[in-house]
Amino acid sequence: MNIIMCIMVFMPIVGAFLSYMIGRKNKTGRDLFVCDLTIVEFVCSLLLVFSAGSSEKILFVIPEVCGMGLQFTVDGFRAVYAAIAAFMWMMTTLLSKEYFGHYRNRNRYYLFLLVTLGATEAIFLSADLYTTFIFFEIMSLASYVWVAQDEKVASLRAAATYLAVAVIGGLVMLMGLFLLYHQAGTLQIDLLHEACQGKNVYVAAVCLLVGFGAKAGAFPLHIWLPKAHPVAPAPASALLSGILTKTGIFGVLVISCQILMYDELWGAVILLLGVVTMFLGALLAVFSIDFKRTLACSSVSQIGFILVGVGMQGLLAEHNALAIRGTLLHMVNHSVFKLVLFMLAGVIYMNLHKLDLNEIRGFGYKKPLLAAIYLMGALGIGGIPMFSGYVSKTLLHESIVEYIHGMEAGEFISAFFSAGDMKLIEVIFLVSGGLTLAYMCKLFVAVFLEKNNDAVVQKSYEERKNYMTKCSAFALTVSAVLIPVMGILPYATMNRIADMGQSFMGHVHMEHEVHYFTWTNLKGSVISILIGAVVYFVVVRGFMMEKQADGTTKYVNRWPEKLDLEEVLYRPLLLKIVPTVGSFVAGLFDVFTDGLVVFFRKTIYRDSPRVTELEEGNEMTHALGTFLNSLEAIGNCFIWKENPRKMDFEHWFALKYSAFKENVSFIGRSLSYGLILFCLGLCATLIYLLIYTVV
Amino acid sequence: MGQSVLILLAIFIPVLWGLVLLVKPEFKNRKALLTVSGAGLIIAAVLGCAVIFGGEQEVLLFSFGKNMNIFFQVDAVSRLFATVVTVVWVLAGFYSFEYMKHEKEEKRYFGFYVLVFGILYALVFAGNMITYYLFYEMMTLLSMPLILHSKTKEAIMGGLKYMLYSLFGAYMVLFGIYFLNKYALTLNFTVGGALDMQAVAGNEGILLVAAFAMIAGFGVKAGMFPLHAWLPTAHPVAPAPASAVMSGIIVKMGVLGILRVIFSLFGADFIRGTWVQTVWLVLSLITVFMGSMLAYREKITKKRLAYSTVSQISYILFGMALLVPEGLTGALLHVIFHAVIKSTLFMCAGAIIYKTGKTSVDELKGIGKEMPITIWCYTFAAAALIGFPPASGFISKWYLAVGALESGIATFSWLGPVVLLISALLTAGYLLPITVNGFLPGKDFDYGSLKKKEPVKMMLIPIMILAVLTILLGVFPTPLTEYIAGIVNMVL
Repeated sequence: MNIIMCIMVFMPIVGAFLSYMIGRKNKTGRDLFVCDLTIVEFVCSLLLVFSAGSSEKILFVIPEVCGMGLQFTVDGFRAVYAAIAAFMWMMTTLLSKEYFGHYRNRNRYYLFLLVTLGATEAIFLSADLYTTFIFFEIMSLASYVWVAQDEKVASLRAAATYLAVAVIGGLVMLMGLFLLYHQAGTLQIDLLHEACQGKNVYVAAVCLLVGFGAKAGAFPLHIWLPKAHPVAPAPASALLSGILTKTGIFGVLVISCQILMYDELWGAVILLLGVVTMFLGALLAVFSIDFKRTLACSSVSQIGFILVGVGMQGLLAEHNALAIRGTLLHMVNHSVFKLVLFMLAGVIYMNLHKLDLNEIRGFGYKKPLLAAIYLMGALGIGGIPMFSGYVSKTLLHESIVEYIHGMEAGEFISAFFSAGDMKLIEVIFLVSGGLTLAYMCKLFVAVFLEKNNDAVVQKSYEERKNYMTKCSAFALTVSAVLIPVMGILPYATMNRIADMGQSFMGHVHMEHEVHYFTWTNLKGSVISILIGAVVYFVVVRGFMMEKQADGTTKYVNRWPEKLDLEEVLYRPLLLKIVPTVGSFVAGLFDVFTDGLVVFFRKTIYRDSPRVTELEEGNEMTHALGTFLNSLEAIGNCFIWKENPRKMDFEHWFALKYSAFKENVSFIGRSLSYGLILFCLGLCATLIYLLIYTVV
Repeated sequence: MGQSVLILLAIFIPVLWGLVLLVKPEFKNRKALLTVSGAGLIIAAVLGCAVIFGGEQEVLLFSFGKNMNIFFQVDAVSRLFATVVTVVWVLAGFYSFEYMKHEKEEKRYFGFYVLVFGILYALVFAGNMITYYLFYEMMTLLSMPLILHSKTKEAIMGGLKYMLYSLFGAYMVLFGIYFLNKYALTLNFTVGGALDMQAVAGNEGILLVAAFAMIAGFGVKAGMFPLHAWLPTAHPVAPAPASAVMSGIIVKMGVLGILRVIFSLFGADFIRGTWVQTVWLVLSLITVFMGSMLAYREKITKKRLAYSTVSQISYILFGMALLVPEGLTGALLHVIFHAVIKSTLFMCAGAIIYKTGKTSVDELKGIGKEMPITIWCYTFAAAALIGFPPASGFISKWYLAVGALESGIATFSWLGPVVLLISALLTAGYLLPITVNGFLPGKDFDYGSLKKKEPVKMMLIPIMILAVLTILLGVFPTPLTEYIAGIVNMVL
């Protein structure tokens, strides 16, 4: 077991450098190497999953590395997520071969791809937050390169945003770790709950939440997702959205299920965060007219759904079985959905190098395989019965309903929410589900049902038959088929996953079996579908489509440009205001001593020679003289034209000045001479008096 | 004697070697000069290593009156500092063999370079305050020629500023020594402090002033606000390897001075909880913030790194000022890590200047494509300085922050880590753009006219060794932390 974990973490990191070296010589060899490596990784992770059932506790410690040592462990949840990560890497790598066919700097991409794989696996397998943090930072930095891969201006800008969020999040998280370590004395995840009992660890928890939440894409730090995804290569987007955000959720789970287990306040905070994220993400997605941006905003929204589940766990406390299973399954499902959908976006992009809905419109027309793959992803994420998303969303929905019923029956008493508030949250939940369907529908209609406005373009689209290689098609189909399989057989597949993973979140057994396909559960889905249909026809078809002069329609971006948190708040604040104020203050400190030195040199020491040494007089006579001289010159021009005055006032003043100075010094000297004589006299008198008195 | 003669040899052989280099007439060719200077460096390093591994020992060289001895002593602290000095000084020396090619009067440079090596050994092995002070002044004066090497107006002004600031600081130290001489049992560095508590009783006030004067005085070398201003003036004008050792080693002698004064003469208990500690903490935190903020604003690469040094050295001072074991551990770790990291960064900056002549950060677009190995090394060092795990800076900052929280000093226990993290963010802000613009020059970058400009091995290998160290020391810090724990347990 330890060996498997060791392989899973360090093989990709070592392999990354090998692949770089191979890649310098032989490009095909490198592609093959990377593919094989990810497959081996996946096989290892499967071994981990099948052996994770054993109840004994496994702790794999590499002592002394990085000071406190690295600790890895494996349980059901970790094994499942390690396997999903490996699966996603394998699938995207299969696609990458074709996708990156004409890219520059591919060696670099694969290098960082594999480093990130190792780091991500390490995060999911980590047994203490110290290890988590170390690999979290490695992952953040390495994945930065993906976003910047094509080096366009927009990519570099988005990558900078990504890096800034990662670095700032990482540092705040580090602060949280300092505090937590100080208060709890340990960072080992299993021991944290006990160690934090009776201590006020909210500050630490909030710091950690900022760090992990930033990676997960929670509001208000979701800004990197809609920027980074459209510009990153599609395989990278799939991973960023499908698995890297989950590392953030992993951290949030550690806080919610270990440090602050069953804490109601914390649950409420996370729930609110989740509701805002869920709704806002969905809203942004509806209004987006870029294929990948829609998917990115959708990721934000789905992370919100997951956070709602996490929040409900805190609120429901001991009765949180539904919320736990819902959270876990929605994480798994979302990873698969986004894998499928982003890979599909990749197929579109590698054919057209465009993502704008108006331009890619009609690309999928008469491409049944592509349409089927898309539909599986879309129906899954939309929560349609018989697809896997339905199961997890139902569980999440049920957990809210359970809480409302509990409140009405007096079982739960909440200090933060009334039953009415919770009903509102339920409504927002269903509306967000509806919005999900609406934006998925928007993409489907635009890409697969409608035809392009330009008939020539449409023809060229339809002629493209070999739009992807067999290898890519295999990767997409296999990933997509998972969704209906899991949706149709939830008891055999999803329940098992939930059973495996739930102990991580502190749950042991289910109180009662959930029957997914009963009317009460189907009702939520039906409501969402209805809302989705209304939103699609009213907002998308009515508001976002504009009739052109020639009768065709066009998608328009109706989202106000100004409403961009990054441009309005973060960039001005962090790049202009704070540095200006900071450097002003720092500048004051900086010139403090030198300024003092210069000040004294100018006043007391006066070493610096005057810029222009005057030949005679002083500055005042010079100024007065020059002034009168110029008056005289003006007078000579206008008044005394015949016999001009030739008086040099400057010289005259200088003479007067020196005479004055002479007089003054004469007086001074005389005075001092007088004073000296006086003093001598005084002294003589004193001495005389002294001698006289003594004698 | 026996063993302890080695200490004297390690100090005086490089000094004599340097003097001979200086007075000797010009060499016939460059190779001869390099051979002689290289031999000097290696012999000194070998002798130094012999002392470091020779265990604890002491030697009294000369005595002129009570308490006035020239006395050397090798203890755990000196061995630690001596190791850092040896590694960085020798590597930077080899680096300058290539770098100094385009400068004139190399003989003078290498003469002083070898000479100061000996002085540094004298400093780290110094056994009492008199010896330390003597060699401290010598180091100031003898390292000045390294700064004003190019003899341009700016260089001379920079060198003078360095000297005047340092002398000012040294006199503050001297002021403290007078008082110490009166109230301490001995001026020899004694574990836990050497104050004569009977004599001190009733005179704590004046002794605290003396202690503060000494902290501020050595703080000049360590670039502590308000007397930090010589660093950003002197660094950009000095040759890159000189800046590297200046930032890496020479400023650390200020740190060593404070370490000795506070932990081996006054004793940590005497300072704990007094206004001196508070002011010391405040000054160091101001410096941490100010240095990073100004570095963030600065466009000249070497000046940016100089401001960065100002900020980073105050991490060390902050750690010491906490007067708790974790804080001191973090400080000592950061002494080592910063020495390695900052010399790497300066050497990379120097390599860029040497090969391309670009001194401003804005000109470095695509530099990573021209000099990939150099910029990779730069990136490793930068990551370490920012404190990305698992690179070395992370470990020291971890200890510093934990130390701050453990210390329980009101306000500072949380303010310290916050300032450290803000500074880390700024560090990322001023170091990473070079890597990012260097490796990701943008879509329009002209790959056609790209020329490989990697420097020759003589420059590259020292950089690579140091860059690897920045990571390795972070991944496997345990031998170091254990060694330092030994020191910390003794003095606190």
